[in-house]
Amino acid sequence: MLKVDRLGKKYGGRWIFRGLSFELGQGDRLVILGRNGSGKSTLLRTIAGLTERTEGTVELPPGDPRHTLGLCALEQSVYAQLTVEEHLEMTADLRGCPARIDELLGKIDLAYARDVPASHLSTGMRARLKIAMAIQANPVALLLDEPGAGLDEEGRNLVARITAEQSERGCLIVATNDPIERRLANLELQLAS
Amino acid sequence: MNYSWRAEILAIFRKEWRTEMRSMSGLVTAFLFSVVTVYAISFAALNSKLPKTVIAGMLWVALLFSAASSLPRTFLSEEEHGTADLLRLVARAHAVFWGKALFNIFQCVATSVMLSILYLGFTSTPVAIPWLFAVSLVAGCLSLAGAVTLCGAIASQASNRSMLAAAIAVPLLLPLVALGVSGMRVSLGDGTMASGGTASAIGLIGYAVATLATGPYIFAAVWKT
Repeated sequence: MLKVDRLGKKYGGRWIFRGLSFELGQGDRLVILGRNGSGKSTLLRTIAGLTERTEGTVELPPGDPRHTLGLCALEQSVYAQLTVEEHLEMTADLRGCPARIDELLGKIDLAYARDVPASHLSTGMRARLKIAMAIQANPVALLLDEPGAGLDEEGRNLVARITAEQSERGCLIVATNDPIERRLANLELQLAS
Repeated sequence: MNYSWRAEILAIFRKEWRTEMRSMSGLVTAFLFSVVTVYAISFAALNSKLPKTVIAGMLWVALLFSAASSLPRTFLSEEEHGTADLLRLVARAHAVFWGKALFNIFQCVATSVMLSILYLGFTSTPVAIPWLFAVSLVAGCLSLAGAVTLCGAIASQASNRSMLAAAIAVPLLLPLVALGVSGMRVSLGDGTMASGGTASAIGLIGYAVATLATGPYIFAAVWKT
């Protein structure tokens, strides 16, 4: 489903990571662990194609990555002036997939904030919106970067539910240092600092 | 899944429209720039008649700076606010370019019409050849929007974006300004042959076609790097 072969990323003269290889299949849930600055987020961005890799290859699930790949990253921002509904409408139009607005808002428990601009959302609500956009097209591979950051207990339960659903649909990679999120995985990868 | 270029381009245009209508940052900047320019020129030329060539040149300078100050932000702000990654994940490069270019064209035309009315009104300048004035203005807007969209798109990938955008804009916009001023001064009746103005208008149309046709391909090449 998702294969990473001898992947390496160098910034300036320093290797962030090098020689990473793994292959994920249906139901695999990989947690990437490592200290701050060890390259967890960079690895997810490199797999998603947002950061250019220095060496190695990444084989994504077959098909259009806009549908087969979902990424929810900590540093990813939303449009301050657009409402929750408008975000989901826009990403659906751009992907060419059904918007599933009611279903997704129910799933992330954000139906009450449907018409609220992103600038008025709390950090946790924005995190939920980003998760909704990441899973909108039912991706085969889902990449979550510190998904629990800014979420309350209910939000963390939501992440657990999303993780379980993703296991049935495909594979999941979570970059985290949170011991609770670590338990969501059935595979672990430790990045050296 | 239903792939539709039209839906994708409209989604980007709608996003730009909603963002601009709710923040009004670009339109307000352009409006204030227009008002200040017109006021300054009217005040400077008080009780004196400006030559048509100078009026055409000043109008184009105002158009150019008004566009250049507000338009590239449509790309640069995506990078600065961290929203560019979301677009990279869900959108195709050509749709992003066209959606933003269409919005830039709309914004440029709206600003130009407002600026021209204010400018010609305050300087009491009659338009001798209205069709040439309109063609020069519209083709100029298409060219300006195409060129600044392209500048913004290329520069958005660099670390020193604003400086690079300005550096790319100079060689791209100089021929455009020359064509625009030339067409505009003939349309205001500076005494030269109308055929010279027509040639400039055709040049402006060619410039617009060139920037808008090649822009998406250049943008696609730099979009994901």
